Amino acid sequence: MDASLIFAQFMSGLSRGMMLFLIASGLSLIFGVMNILNFAHATFWLVGAYLCYSFWYLLQDHSFGMWLSIPLAALSLAAIGWIIEMVLIRRVYKRELPEQLLLTYALVLVLGDLIKIVWGVEDKLIERPPLVASPVFIFGMPFDSYFIFVILVGFVVAIGLWWFLKKTRYGHIVRAAVFSREMVSALGIPIPRIYTGIFVLGIFIAGLAGAVQAPVGSITLGMDMAVVIQAFCVVVIGGFGSLLGTFVAAIIVGEVYAFSILFWPQGALVLIFIVTAFILIIRPWGLFGTPDRT
Amino acid sequence: MKFKMTIVVCVFVLLGGFPFASNCLAGEAYHLGVDLAITGTGALYCKDGVDAIKLAVEEINAKGGFLGEHPIKLFIRDSHTKPDVAVREAKDLILREKVRAILGTYSSACAVAIKPVAQEYKVLHIPAISNSENITKVNFSPYTYQVVPNSYMQAKAVVLGVAELAKKKGWTEYVTIASDYEWGRSTQNNTVALLKQLAPELKLKKEFWPRLGETQFTSYITAIMAQKPDFVIGSVASKDNIAWMKQAKAYGFFDKIPYPGSLISVSELIVQSKGLTRGLIGLCRAPFFAHLDVPMMADFVKNFRAKYDRYPSDWAVMEYDAVYVLKQGVEKAGSIDTEKVKDALKGATVDTTRGQLSFREIDNQLSCSSYIGVVADDPAYPFPIYHDLVEVKGPDSWRPEAEIVEARAK
Repeated sequence: MDASLIFAQFMSGLSRGMMLFLIASGLSLIFGVMNILNFAHATFWLVGAYLCYSFWYLLQDHSFGMWLSIPLAALSLAAIGWIIEMVLIRRVYKRELPEQLLLTYALVLVLGDLIKIVWGVEDKLIERPPLVASPVFIFGMPFDSYFIFVILVGFVVAIGLWWFLKKTRYGHIVRAAVFSREMVSALGIPIPRIYTGIFVLGIFIAGLAGAVQAPVGSITLGMDMAVVIQAFCVVVIGGFGSLLGTFVAAIIVGEVYAFSILFWPQGALVLIFIVTAFILIIRPWGLFGTPDRT
Repeated sequence: MKFKMTIVVCVFVLLGGFPFASNCLAGEAYHLGVDLAITGTGALYCKDGVDAIKLAVEEINAKGGFLGEHPIKLFIRDSHTKPDVAVREAKDLILREKVRAILGTYSSACAVAIKPVAQEYKVLHIPAISNSENITKVNFSPYTYQVVPNSYMQAKAVVLGVAELAKKKGWTEYVTIASDYEWGRSTQNNTVALLKQLAPELKLKKEFWPRLGETQFTSYITAIMAQKPDFVIGSVASKDNIAWMKQAKAYGFFDKIPYPGSLISVSELIVQSKGLTRGLIGLCRAPFFAHLDVPMMADFVKNFRAKYDRYPSDWAVMEYDAVYVLKQGVEKAGSIDTEKVKDALKGATVDTTRGQLSFREIDNQLSCSSYIGVVADDPAYPFPIYHDLVEVKGPDSWRPEAEIVEARAK
């Protein structure tokens, strides 16, 4: 087995990891700051993919159609997220976890039915522009050029979130709110506005992830349920609320999956759940989480 | 007085009681259940199936329904491509909606799960899309009829073609990729077993089993390329198949490794019309363009296009046939009584869009064909179709009866 093959498989795992990171980072961010376990996060991701399709459909005659559709879908979904936060989510901030889960699960069903009404039940397909339709060769091994873009988006989002949380004033407030909402509130900073901002940001990332996923295969109902478990695995391994943890865990899950396909294809998916169970046993708060967030 | 009462009771029994005794009344609606994957992995195929069923029902109801006096009432349910949901919906269709037959299903796992339920409640079951041979081979139910070439028949068709190609091209090693569920496993296992028989010199290097619903195949693609096989055999369906083929094409996979005989149904030909690699050797179950010489097919395509403004896929063809098979069963039985229809269909010869075909008595499998061809553009259609189409007839490809008897004895 030569090095170029190992590298190709590594890149493949990295692209899967970045896709998972894009989905899981919004989930982790919302939980980390707001303590809301958004079960509907993957369904928002799916709506993002459908929105991307709609924008692409309108712009498909232009060479930039797909590229512009991706941010437009993310922004549109963020707007939808903002409305949902104002109308529904903010009413359960102080409720118990089961009630939050019930509401967000209800959102899964409502959004699923809305997708059926708006886009129908048939699969949607986005044609990739020529720039990302053919492979690139890395050390002699072909690699789907679109996944280079996926990896780039993953890294940009990771760096962007890190910069936002560590280097901006708003980010400092957000991090302070994670530790003591009361103190931040006492300083005259409106907590509800912070929460709205974070929820909208989380949903924006979900929309971006969905839009990035859209040109990979076909877009269809039920995709969200297939991905939500893996996204939760990533968050559990990384530690609830830890962005760095989510990033590292996504790469671990992506690489474990990719290399197990190479060496033990029958056990690829099982291995992810074994890793998740192992982490849950030895470190219930995840690799980068804290014990109070188990 | 007693005599008069006796006469009244006798008249009632003669006029009214008979229909009750045979469990159906003149003018009684025929409740027909549909348990298909409106959402989930199978949604791509099932939308066409549901539309074709609706069309067939409209046509039959325009003439008064079954036997001209039993209008069909449709009850459509979503199995979500999940066996537990499919069974729940099937039970609800039977117990609440009192359906006499259930058409379905996309996933073979769903079909296998529904089969005992239909048998328990004595309801006819025609899973017109799912095609694992285990639906009719083992745990046989006399209520289940199959109008799709099953996984063995499809595998045999592929193997006949591949064995021929392997000889010609000097291929010696291959790998497989199949969705990890009932149909994928069944098709892949049959293909490998048949290749062992017909081309024992071919060596299986590795098997890959992506989960059902997989969206990213990159790791599989590079892992398969690393094996450097002479060819790859795939059993991936519906939206998974689209993702797989789209990503494999972006890797230049099909330019490097021959991929003969994978399922490329009319759905894939239409949906991927721009991106599908021309020259691929594909397999399908019921392409309409293979039978336009059959008047029933020509009419169906015309009516389907007029109603839905698109061409019908394999799945539409087979679900449409399922309704008409049921109609012919009812006509042969002279009744909508399920027991009589079930018996009437046993070994029956029926008219379908794919010509006149017969059910084999041992497993209620229709003698339908499998089709292999080369994906190519055709000026008659806005999407590629198959050229050099080879039709492998049902009786040439189905499992010998002795093997079925043996499998059931185990």
